[in-house]
Amino acid sequence: MILAFREYIIQHLCCVWMFYEKWDMMKIFTCKNRFEDMMTCIYDAWEYALVYGHENVSLIREPVVQLSFMDEYIHIEPDADKVKKVVRSIIKSISYEAYMDVYYAALSADDTLDDIYRFLNVGFRMGPALTRMLTEPVVIRMMEHRRKVGNEIHYWREFTRFNAIENKVYVAHIEPKCDVIYMVAGHFADRMTSEHFMIIDENRKYAVMHPADGEMYLTDLSDSEMNVLKKTEEYADEYRVLWDVFFHTIGIRQRENAKCQRNMFPVWMRKHAVEFMEKK
Amino acid sequence: MFELQKGLSVQEKLHILADAAKYDVACTSSGVDRKGGKGMLGNARACGICHSFAADGRCISLLKILMTNHCVYDCKYCINRVSNDVQRAAFTPEEICELTVEFYKRNYIEGLFLSSGVLRNPTYTMEKMCETLALLRNQYHFNGYIHVKTIPGASDELLAKAGCLADRISINLELPTEESLKELAPNKSFQTIINPMAKVSNTIAENRIALGKNAHMERSFGNRYLRGSIFNDENMKSLEGKKENTGMIGQTDARSGLKALDLTNDRELGIYGASDHIRPFAPAGQSTQMIIGASGESDYTLLQTTQRLYQSFDLKRVFYSAYIPINEDSALPSLDTAPPLLREHRLYQADWLLRFYGFQADELLSEEKPDFNVQIDPKCDWALRHLDIFPIEVQTASYDMILRVPGIGPRSAKRIMQARRYGSLSYEGLKKMGVVLKRAHYFITCGGHMMFKTPIEEKYIMRQLIGAHSKENWQITHTEQYHQMSLFDDFGVS
Repeated sequence: MILAFREYIIQHLCCVWMFYEKWDMMKIFTCKNRFEDMMTCIYDAWEYALVYGHENVSLIREPVVQLSFMDEYIHIEPDADKVKKVVRSIIKSISYEAYMDVYYAALSADDTLDDIYRFLNVGFRMGPALTRMLTEPVVIRMMEHRRKVGNEIHYWREFTRFNAIENKVYVAHIEPKCDVIYMVAGHFADRMTSEHFMIIDENRKYAVMHPADGEMYLTDLSDSEMNVLKKTEEYADEYRVLWDVFFHTIGIRQRENAKCQRNMFPVWMRKHAVEFMEKK
Repeated sequence: MFELQKGLSVQEKLHILADAAKYDVACTSSGVDRKGGKGMLGNARACGICHSFAADGRCISLLKILMTNHCVYDCKYCINRVSNDVQRAAFTPEEICELTVEFYKRNYIEGLFLSSGVLRNPTYTMEKMCETLALLRNQYHFNGYIHVKTIPGASDELLAKAGCLADRISINLELPTEESLKELAPNKSFQTIINPMAKVSNTIAENRIALGKNAHMERSFGNRYLRGSIFNDENMKSLEGKKENTGMIGQTDARSGLKALDLTNDRELGIYGASDHIRPFAPAGQSTQMIIGASGESDYTLLQTTQRLYQSFDLKRVFYSAYIPINEDSALPSLDTAPPLLREHRLYQADWLLRFYGFQADELLSEEKPDFNVQIDPKCDWALRHLDIFPIEVQTASYDMILRVPGIGPRSAKRIMQARRYGSLSYEGLKKMGVVLKRAHYFITCGGHMMFKTPIEEKYIMRQLIGAHSKENWQITHTEQYHQMSLFDDFGVS
């Protein structure tokens, strides 16, 4: 009995040993949560994988919460040349559609970096058909990422509320999950070309500025700037009152349906919406 | 007509006139893509944008107001009828423009929805409305979405002007047959509604051809190419030659009988944009609305009317509004009648089947079975009556057939068509593509086998589907809110 048990242990250890020998150390490439960083990270990981194989590479977006025991972590800094190369080859050898999938996925709140890498892995083999190959699990996953980010962009087109300062400057505060303010601002730049406006991402502490009849741009905001800008939400404005009146009049009492309302206008998006803010 | 209180504030007027407009349902801003530009305000997106959702869960996309709720008509179902004692008010054109532009800049709304009670007479009212729209477009340079209701009985020139200024133009049919219209809306007649509808429809078609487009409105996902679709060229053509039976829309054959509106004088009217850019005539098409449950029509009549409206007038949308009792009248349902929300829901489902899935009204309902099954949706109901063609194989079936499977919509059908060219499908994959297997698995095979061992029996599948639908149906019919009783809030103990 004991002998059999010893035999079993030895055999088992041998298996683990063989497995370890065969299983080379995994290289894990990490980078910051920005489009340029991610593209560079993909470039460097790919370069490594050409020698050691794609299965020995993994990509994680920082912060890395839990380090594993036997893998090696490499932090990647952005490099403009590499970004250009990656973007160019996606558009050239796969399709523009695939590039849009990658771009949207990169904006996502979740860590989509590894999915993007696997997506491109299939893509460079398959070419332009890639985005239609929905039987491939990673293509479906990318489609879901794109849908999620695209939906959030559309939500903020609907629910962003501007506060007018002296009827000259329009300021909006939003707290999106995905990094979407630039895409959202593009919509308003066409809509209000001849107005000054800004959209502030409260979570990421940066903003899109749009001067009247000018080009819009992104800018980081310091804490003191954030505090000053916070006050714009308390700015007295008669149209805020009028909108509140309209909003509370237009519903039909006999059809009241809070659940439907929540489905259509999720509660987490109501924080800066005038009609749902508490009255002072 | 007098206003008893002079000098209402804008806020009070907004309250009165939004309250009077809330029963109108067509609050959509879809159907037209237009870019913004320097010096003007606004653009339009074909997908439509909702900006908020009211307590009843309906979207708020446009500033939906009446110009005035003074009205000389006495339609029995309407809150603003002349015999009702309600507070009356009227906006000036400037007030409406200011409200629209300022709300728009704050991103509260997508544009203006302007309707009105009949002040003095239809022509005077319509003239006032056109004045407002012209001011908004030309003085305030507003380039966003405008939906205008036309007043039955207004002159052709005003109709033409309204169409040139607005994106969508609509005239409410309210009731699907001549008899019920006579009974409930004594001042309106079928002709005063159908004739302008036909004229607008002809003008839109003429204008589209002049702009180098197809005469018919765009329909999404290529459903014009589906064999059975009501928008199919052949089905449209066969209708034009046909004379319909009496009592319903279509028999007037208004489309060929009436000429299009004359747009030639419009340049002098100053309703084109500042530059030489010519604004198309109602680019987002026209729509209408019908009240459900005020008169005794069956679902079959309503759906047939809907189909005729789509085919003979090329309407972009037909809206349904569950009747909410606000007036007491012997000709109307009593005041404690609950609005028929589930019936309205079923009709909208059927409307989608007509517009996106290539179904026809006669396939869904018939003289023998004039109302929808309340327990399951119209598509499941249709599939259960045609079990002889199911299950179908998703790997090889045609797009038309895949679209007819309950639980598969235009998007997932398109994805199936794309995916199966590159690999074999699986149930897991179908689920990821957006197919609702809860309903679909009774009607499809994938790779030659069904998902479960299912007997193809009508009674069995019906039972299963009713189980799957019951929660949703209950939620639509029971919208009241329940909450936990609290000693502090409910009984005032503190």
